Amino acid sequence: MHVDYGYFEEQQLGKPYDIRLMRRMLPFATPYRGLLSFSVFLVILITVLDLALPYLTKIAIDQYIVPGGSQKSAVRHLVADLKDEKISAVVEKYSGLFEIQADEARIELTDLEKISFKDRLALRKNDLIGVTRMAGIFLLCVTLSFALNFLQVWIMEYAGQKIMHDLRVRLYTHIQDLSSAFFTRNPVGRLVTRVTSDVQNMHELFTSVITFVFQDVFLLVGISIVLLALHWQLALVTFTVIPAVALASVYFASQAREAFRTLRIKIAEINTRFAETIGGISIIQLFRRGPDNLRDFETLNHEHYLAGMRQIHVFALFMPVVELLGTVAMALVIYYGGSGVVSGHITLGELVAFLSYMKMFFTPIRDIAEKYNIMQNAMASAERIFLILDSGERIPVASDGSTDPEHISDIVFENVCFSYVPAEPVLKDVSFRVHAGKTLALVGPTGSGKSSVIHLLIRFYAPDQGRILISGKDISAWNPENLRAGMALVAQDPFIFSATVRENIVGGNGEIGDEQMERIIDAACCRNLIRRLPKGLDTVLSEGGSSLSSGERQLMAMARAIARDPELIILDEATSYIDSGTEQDIQQAMANLMKGRTSILVAHRLATARSADRILVLRDGRIVESGTHGELMARKEFYWRLNQVQG
Amino acid sequence: MKSLSLILPYFVEQRLQIFCGIFCLIAVDFLQLFIPRILKRAVDDLTLFAAGASVLMRYALYLAAIALLMSVFRYGWRRCLIGFSRRVEEGLRNQLFSHVQHLSAEYFQEVKTGDLMAHATNDIQNVRMAMGMGLVALTDAVVLGTAAVGFMAFINVRLTLFALIPAPFIIFGTRIFSRKMHRRYLGVQQEFSNMTEAVRERFAGIRIIKAYNRKADEIRRISEISRSYVKSNMNLVRLTGSFFPLMMFFSNLSLALVFFLGGRQTISLEISPGDFVAFISYIGLLTWPMMAIGWVTNLIQRGRASMDRLQIISQTRPKIADAPDALSFQKAEGRIRFDGVCFSYPPSGPKALRDVDFLLKPGEILGIVGPPGSGKTSLVGLIPRIFDVSSGKILLDGIDIRGIKLEDLRAQISFMPQEPFLFARTIAENILFGKSGATSDEMMRASRAAGLYETVMAFEKGFDTLVGEKGAVLSGGQKQRIALARALINPAPVLILDDPISQVDTQTAAGIIETLRKMAGKRTMIIVSHRLSAVRFADQIIVLDQGRITESGNHESLMELRGYYAKTFQLQQIEEAVHAR
Repeated sequence: MHVDYGYFEEQQLGKPYDIRLMRRMLPFATPYRGLLSFSVFLVILITVLDLALPYLTKIAIDQYIVPGGSQKSAVRHLVADLKDEKISAVVEKYSGLFEIQADEARIELTDLEKISFKDRLALRKNDLIGVTRMAGIFLLCVTLSFALNFLQVWIMEYAGQKIMHDLRVRLYTHIQDLSSAFFTRNPVGRLVTRVTSDVQNMHELFTSVITFVFQDVFLLVGISIVLLALHWQLALVTFTVIPAVALASVYFASQAREAFRTLRIKIAEINTRFAETIGGISIIQLFRRGPDNLRDFETLNHEHYLAGMRQIHVFALFMPVVELLGTVAMALVIYYGGSGVVSGHITLGELVAFLSYMKMFFTPIRDIAEKYNIMQNAMASAERIFLILDSGERIPVASDGSTDPEHISDIVFENVCFSYVPAEPVLKDVSFRVHAGKTLALVGPTGSGKSSVIHLLIRFYAPDQGRILISGKDISAWNPENLRAGMALVAQDPFIFSATVRENIVGGNGEIGDEQMERIIDAACCRNLIRRLPKGLDTVLSEGGSSLSSGERQLMAMARAIARDPELIILDEATSYIDSGTEQDIQQAMANLMKGRTSILVAHRLATARSADRILVLRDGRIVESGTHGELMARKEFYWRLNQVQG
Repeated sequence: MKSLSLILPYFVEQRLQIFCGIFCLIAVDFLQLFIPRILKRAVDDLTLFAAGASVLMRYALYLAAIALLMSVFRYGWRRCLIGFSRRVEEGLRNQLFSHVQHLSAEYFQEVKTGDLMAHATNDIQNVRMAMGMGLVALTDAVVLGTAAVGFMAFINVRLTLFALIPAPFIIFGTRIFSRKMHRRYLGVQQEFSNMTEAVRERFAGIRIIKAYNRKADEIRRISEISRSYVKSNMNLVRLTGSFFPLMMFFSNLSLALVFFLGGRQTISLEISPGDFVAFISYIGLLTWPMMAIGWVTNLIQRGRASMDRLQIISQTRPKIADAPDALSFQKAEGRIRFDGVCFSYPPSGPKALRDVDFLLKPGEILGIVGPPGSGKTSLVGLIPRIFDVSSGKILLDGIDIRGIKLEDLRAQISFMPQEPFLFARTIAENILFGKSGATSDEMMRASRAAGLYETVMAFEKGFDTLVGEKGAVLSGGQKQRIALARALINPAPVLILDDPISQVDTQTAAGIIETLRKMAGKRTMIIVSHRLSAVRFADQIIVLDQGRITESGNHESLMELRGYYAKTFQLQQIEEAVHAR
């Protein structure tokens, strides 16, 4: 299998974000906007739940665990409610410690120790109930958050996968429609990478961008709001570290981007070099270049190592700096917040909540560099994908392309000129006519243009000059699908798909009954071949039919053609030597296939051409002789000479 | 555990770095544990409104100082430990590469390139992960885990026990999940490669798809395959999507328990409010080491499996290697003799060559012709020992080539294979590949001889043109001529050319043949060709059919024989006359 490691394309550095590309992705997301907005809604809920947790701690501390924070007093007091009998009983028992005012009794926190353990519990039974309730709510939030989180990730991934599926199929469909010239210019491996890896990269973009934009940004904004609401002065003090955090993030993100990029390029180079070495191993061994090659590889590998160390360095600096700033924020909270607690501006619970929120604030920041890298990677892939989607290189289809099924009768080439590469003509002024039901054979040396005639007829390419008429109508006016529906091509080296024999013969189109199938097998002389296969017609042929001999592949291709029951047969005879076992079968199948049909046949062996109704002899892209075998032999020119030698 | 021998040297080499790394890591672990202690003191003081500005300032400074120290140590362990894993990666990759490069052609027939690439990427990465993060996770799990539990138990044993109830769930949960995730991840990769292959096959067979109007069906097939890929992804997401939330849930469950019991204990004065707050911090610190315990076992298991696979490769010995008593060889005269040579590949397969005998004197030219599949390429491949004969022997200057040092044998031969393999570098680099240290003068001469010079000079960048992967930007004929120039630049006494002009136009071919002719007498030459004009001038020509020599002689005697050679020659004469016109 050909593998494109994308080395050549990695050189250009994609922008980490590109509004234009994002906007182009939008239509793909639109069908799933319901799911996506639900997912965003869930993210908001989750953020709220996450933000609630430290707040619950605050309530528990201020109201139940360490109450009495808001009094303007030098010592912390606990207030007991005397309306409760059990509590007032305790207060009476230790009346010396309490300061009674109307319905309330106040006790200094330090004096609580003087009360026995049991009485302490009784005195603070309301606090105990309160703490239990808070713990319950906490548990509820945590459970809910877990469930919602799971749901959110699942929905997000589902939507993302669906979008990528659509994009992938769309891209595949688009590429499949492109002209043959496009395929000659672009290696298959590269196109495959577009449909598979690049789409996968974009999926990362989808999930991580959305989680980043919504989850992280919501969380950061949410925390800031909560902090400001809790105590805006302290919030502003802690916010003083934010510029430093922002600066560090921006700086390190760009550093990390470089580090990631070099690492990616280097690993791609290593993979390319490795694959290339395996591919060219015998050349390397024969020319004894192993040591040099190893030295080059070691240099490259060491560059990769250095890039790795560079990345480690960046991260080893960035992570501790973020953590350091986080701890500095904590120290600020302790110093300023602590003073506030002493002076009664801030409760102890608020201070503890502040500390928790600070911790939450710094978590998403640590991942920022990695996310930046993912986005950049994805944007480069998006760019490449849209480049292909934008290339509309295809054989023009006539606008009036009528859809009525038409019959293929006469075929006419009128002064056709054609070249694959400008200024290198392969067909020069070729004209001929094939009447319905007749057989035309093309003969001539390699490179004389025989196969190009076929390529034009089947509309893989369009002629540069001249016209090709089928049933009197220019083929550029035919709808290619209708045109091809009446034809069957048997190529020189037939392409076999990794599918069952049956699927290879009938393709996806149309159901073929067992009886009809039997007839096809007989006509294509495939009986022996199918008998040999372990599961007969349902044997899966792997890797392009590598388990079949070239002759057997030829037979399969004939069966495929017969199954279509076409009006026109286009047959490119195999040049390779066919094992004698299948040779007779092939001759027979070929005869069955052409019987009663219009046929155009590229003959590499003159024996095959002999029985044709007409033979065209091509030389350097021109027709030099034409006629029946008898006529041509009588002329005693080129065809005759060829026969003299080959016969 | 024998596979450890691959990485043991790195542990020895990097022992100082590993020691420093682990020291830093442990230092960070302990410093982290002191932060909750400071919080505790602060909260306790604040509970009693007993903290003055100077006390608070002291706590804040403690925190800042610890943070600063931690930063330094954090840098240290990342640099040392992760750096160590990168070093292992580099070393292993070099070892693998240099080893693979020594293996014989046979090995590469049996092992797919894709599999080897997987070893070079995935397996080495697995080992790196096990060495780097594995080491860190292990240390953290042990040190941070036990120390945090210790600090917690110091506050209150009962509360610690309660708080640790979810711990086993985290440990085993991580272990089970990460193993399952890995398995499903492999499933996703499998689906991905199925999809890649399906798309590749369709693009490769695009013409049949178009000619047979199968586009709609193929879109449907691709869509199905893509859907099954989506399904396997969703299958994975069900695990990954629940894993982190679930672990957070267990960690939060610990918090809820501390909330409940710790809150009660604070109210009843069993612990101080500061203890309560510190406890919550410790739970936060504990989550990671607990996950690390579960994670690290899998990481190490995976690394070990990968190491075993790498070990298998490193123990593969090249099939074709020097005999223990192999002779060194300076410069051959170039006398080559085949003596009853038979060859089959695979060894059990049909014979590709049967009883081939011939003698080629120094400076003589041998032409080999015959239909495709007759054994021509196999024959020439035996001389530089790409493969070894099954029976019979090949002698160079009278010595069995299996008794000559491989390196020395190959130094006597310059070889142009049938498939011109080009490296994704410049044209110049590809030609200079033939002889190390060749000058640009030599390169120009070789490329003129190969009929390449004018073609290359017409390129904008001339010899500095990058040829792309496997020479993608060049035509078949251009690639072939570069490969020829590469063979010609090497002045070895034996020159072997396997079908050198099959894709070159007649006129250029005539020029190349002329140059080859002029070399006659200077070096021993073997030329395989389908175009008989390339061998016409040879001193000896042999015709192979199904592995046997069916005709032999020189051009004149073979023409008189009126066999395969004569027939083919006439046919090609006619064709070439047409082309030349």
